[in-house]
Amino acid sequence: MDHLPAALMPPPVALYIHVPFCISICPYCDFVVYAGREARGERSRLTAFLAALHVELDLRADLLAAQNAGQPRPPLRSVYLGGGTPSLLSAPQVTDLLDHVARRYGLAADAEVTIEVNPGPADRGDLRGYRAAGVGRVSIGVQSLQASELRTLGRRHSAADVAATVDLARAAAFDSVSIDLLYDIPGQTLETWSATLHMALGLAVDHVSAYALALDDPAAEGLTGILGDHRPVRAGARAWRDRVRPGQDEDRAAEMYELASDRLEGAGLAGYELSNWARAGHEGRHNLVYWQREPYAGLGPGAHAFDGAGRRTWTAASLADYLGVLTPAHRVAASLPVGGGELIDDSTAVAEAAILGLRLRQGIPVELARHPGVSAGLAWGMSHGLLERVVTRVRLTPRGRLLADEVFARLLPAGATASRREAAA
Amino acid sequence: MARLGWYQRVAEPSSVYSGRPMASIPQTRLRDFSIIAHVDHGKSTLADRFLELTHAIDARQMTSQVLDSMDLEREKGITIKARAVRLAYVAADGLTYGLNLIDTPGHVDFSYEVSRSLQACEGAVLVIDAAQGIEAQTLANVHLALAQGLVIVPVINKIDLPSAQPDLVLEELENVLAIPRDEVILVSAKEGTNVEQVLEAVVQRVPAPGGDPAAPLQGLIFDSHYDVYKGVVAYVRIASGRLHEHESIRVMASGAEVEILELGVFRPQPSPVGELGPGEVGYVATGLKSVRDCQVGDTLTSAARPAASPLPGYEPAKPLVFAGIYPLRGEDYGELREALDKLHLNDASISFQAESSVALGFGFRCGFLGLLHMEIIQERLEREFALDLIASAPSVAYRVTLANGRGEIDVDNPSRLPEPNDREVIAEPWVRASIITPSQYIGTLIELATNSRGTFEGMEYLDVQRVLLTFQVPLAEMIVDFYDQLKSRSQGYASLDYEAIGYRPGELVKLDVLVAGEPVDALSLIVHRDRAAAAGRSLVEKLKQLIPRQMFEVPIQAAVGSHVIARETIRAMRKNVLAKCYGGDITRKRKLLEKQREGKQRMKRVGSVEIPQEAFLAVLRSGEAS
Ligand SMILES: Nc1nc2c(ncn2[C@@H]2O[C@H](COP(=O)(O)OP(=O)(O)O)[C@@H](O)[C@H]2O)c(=O)[nH]1
Ligand code: SF4
Ligand SMILES: [Mg+2]
Repeated sequence: MDHLPAALMPPPVALYIHVPFCISICPYCDFVVYAGREARGERSRLTAFLAALHVELDLRADLLAAQNAGQPRPPLRSVYLGGGTPSLLSAPQVTDLLDHVARRYGLAADAEVTIEVNPGPADRGDLRGYRAAGVGRVSIGVQSLQASELRTLGRRHSAADVAATVDLARAAAFDSVSIDLLYDIPGQTLETWSATLHMALGLAVDHVSAYALALDDPAAEGLTGILGDHRPVRAGARAWRDRVRPGQDEDRAAEMYELASDRLEGAGLAGYELSNWARAGHEGRHNLVYWQREPYAGLGPGAHAFDGAGRRTWTAASLADYLGVLTPAHRVAASLPVGGGELIDDSTAVAEAAILGLRLRQGIPVELARHPGVSAGLAWGMSHGLLERVVTRVRLTPRGRLLADEVFARLLPAGATASRREAAA
Repeated sequence: MARLGWYQRVAEPSSVYSGRPMASIPQTRLRDFSIIAHVDHGKSTLADRFLELTHAIDARQMTSQVLDSMDLEREKGITIKARAVRLAYVAADGLTYGLNLIDTPGHVDFSYEVSRSLQACEGAVLVIDAAQGIEAQTLANVHLALAQGLVIVPVINKIDLPSAQPDLVLEELENVLAIPRDEVILVSAKEGTNVEQVLEAVVQRVPAPGGDPAAPLQGLIFDSHYDVYKGVVAYVRIASGRLHEHESIRVMASGAEVEILELGVFRPQPSPVGELGPGEVGYVATGLKSVRDCQVGDTLTSAARPAASPLPGYEPAKPLVFAGIYPLRGEDYGELREALDKLHLNDASISFQAESSVALGFGFRCGFLGLLHMEIIQERLEREFALDLIASAPSVAYRVTLANGRGEIDVDNPSRLPEPNDREVIAEPWVRASIITPSQYIGTLIELATNSRGTFEGMEYLDVQRVLLTFQVPLAEMIVDFYDQLKSRSQGYASLDYEAIGYRPGELVKLDVLVAGEPVDALSLIVHRDRAAAAGRSLVEKLKQLIPRQMFEVPIQAAVGSHVIARETIRAMRKNVLAKCYGGDITRKRKLLEKQREGKQRMKRVGSVEIPQEAFLAVLRSGEAS
């Protein structure tokens, strides 16, 4: 990768906005989330957060303009309101936010604008209002359609809530409706998973994401320090993870993945990425930006950004710090929140391009596959039946999709970690 | 290093410690003796009292068991390395005697060192615990002392204990060792009761050393250690002639000649002296850099006026137990070699030879006197040299008769056993185990011996309650958990000693562990045919738990030759993919992959199977625990 001076860096093509509030915290969740009184009611910090978010938006846009020396920038192709539960925002709040984004970053006429919503009546938000604010795509955090599994996961909604939310979304005339599902839930069986998939298909959504439940520990990964992008998992949630982890099963998870893949493909949703299936034309464009290593910006605590070349940065997870520096006491100038970052060297960049590209069904071009940094690892994958070559591209085989990390780990440059963390202003 | 700054202690004025100079003590008033005892009967404590009584050490400076100076000795409460101390004792007759006390280790692994120390003596104080009576190593040590023709001064210790039964012990001594009651001194080493009588008995009963002071110098090297500043320091006992400071000496067998750097005695602090005469015991700092030039058992003589012949020496110690010792981190191999070299300078009984293993990398096949010795060496390597080590399962040395009259070889590493076609007989070392036990445990201990492929040899009542059982048992069974079982079956009351009695052919087979058809060298075992199936099953089951799933199905087999006796299968890996998206957080995803990659780099390859080293370690460690 060429190391362009910052001023000539390509501007972001997508923007992720993190809304760090939920009405309660699910015990498996690793996102930066604040719940309870901070999220709802009179003493909620939502308003304070939005004030800070608008400041951050301005400061980052100023910075970008300065770097670009006033050159005109192409407008954003995607804005993604994620969380947390962004559907805790009111329609006017979303409207203000998107207007501000459009003013400072520019928003293409055909841009994809997504909001994550929860299915429960308390936090599904004002779908009609969001649609009117310019949101075209809604992503619903369904997780499961089985009452017992939802209970296991600590989710408050029901299958009926999901159906109601999808109906509301349809009625509000969103362009695209997506749902998230989880598998490898303790207590889940192939039968209940099959039933969930059947019901999900009955909802006639445009897009399905199916993720294996991951019960990790961000602290053990070193992500929870002062500049870290994660909050420590609370003791209760940690205990819950330890308790239910033995209920997970690699073989069963593999079968569930295969079942999902068969069912969804059979219903006309193509698996365009490892965990994502969509009707033609409904592929999530925002995530494609990540997989194709295009530059993106991020706003909110824990949000990530990438300059499209060699620098990944993130904002620290602390909401208090976030509010403190962006909306300081009077007379003090606002400044950007602290966070971390890493410089990606050339060999790691090539590995990333291959790894992220291989997540997509279309795979990577043979020119990339021949790069000496990744060719040996890819050859290993080929010889073990995990990769295949199709004309001018290399992609994962069906078995390779389940064992992708075996390939990916072998693509990273050997020796010490190529990147390093650094404090980012 | 555990060996405390020797050079610093030398610098202290020795007069603080020594009662008075001893150069003037005539040979007729020297007494060279050892204390022998079963472990914990009070040898070190009695030695402490001797030091106090002779003012070698102030009561104020007295830490208990002064002679046990290595950290490990204190912690384990055993005496590993023999020590020699010179004491000036003013006896009842008003004369000053020079007593040379040679402390000996009390564990069965170290009986070789005991016999070596005894060769430098004319007498031995035999200590027996008043509450325990004669134990297995009491007998073994007495037999060693009698074989050297030493005068025995019998002492019953711990008479202060409420559970003391001195009368019963007196009876045992009479019955079993034919020691008359009136020769036995009843003491409490702890409280100091009658300790002086023991020294009086040493003076009166133990003969003065012989040896012509005018003859050419002969000094027996009975121990040595290595000091960074002084080179090899030899512990010598002068048999004839005189050894002077700054003298040029010759080590007879090796031929090395040097001018000695320092001559001294232990009081117990090393204290320089001008000369040593017959019967005197001291140290010689030689400056030699290699113990091979100055081996234990060799004879020191004068370079100017050498003796005609050396003194009868020792057979070198024969290691009985062997194990591969490997550094956990491959890059520590060089350090491990250096550490072994250094330890070998202080403990000639360890042997080591470079070897390599697919599973464990580069390391050494080491020989030890026994399991405790192995444990101590491993601990010293880890502690004094800051190494992290892993040891393969301990093994004995098998004597293998090769096919077609090609002779015999010793095999101390199971993976080196010749193929069945190339061998005729595998013989294994046997030992005679002497067990002393209260009679109610006879049944269970006979059962233990039988389970250990042992044969009953004899039973002798020591008194109404206690018996001496003797068995012949394969050494290989002894080194598994015989001792622990003996202790648990007898609630701690039985004691054990064993001596090698030679090799016998056995129904022995090599048990191989194969992962995906490839043998894993570090896990090979030589076992009795009847044990193969159980051992194989347990190994295979453990490995199944520990080896991660691979891209393909991996059979794990235990086999004797081509005959598979146990089998498990690790199914192929089904799923390893991070599905989660993490909202643009590519960094976290990549870090997790980097961690996987590092894990893969640390894997050991057996054929096409990647096995984390931890899996091997866990199998080897669980073997230790069993
Ligand atoms: N009650 C009592 N305990 C003693 C006596 N002599 C030694 N001991 C204790 O017995 C244990 C073993 O003593 P030690 O001198 O280390 O025995 P060694 O293994 O023969 O050297 C220690 O706990 C001593 O304190 C004694 O005369 N009376
Ligand atoms: S609703 Fe989603 S963001 Fe909120 S706590 Fe649950 S999983 Fe996390
Ligand atoms: Mg002792």
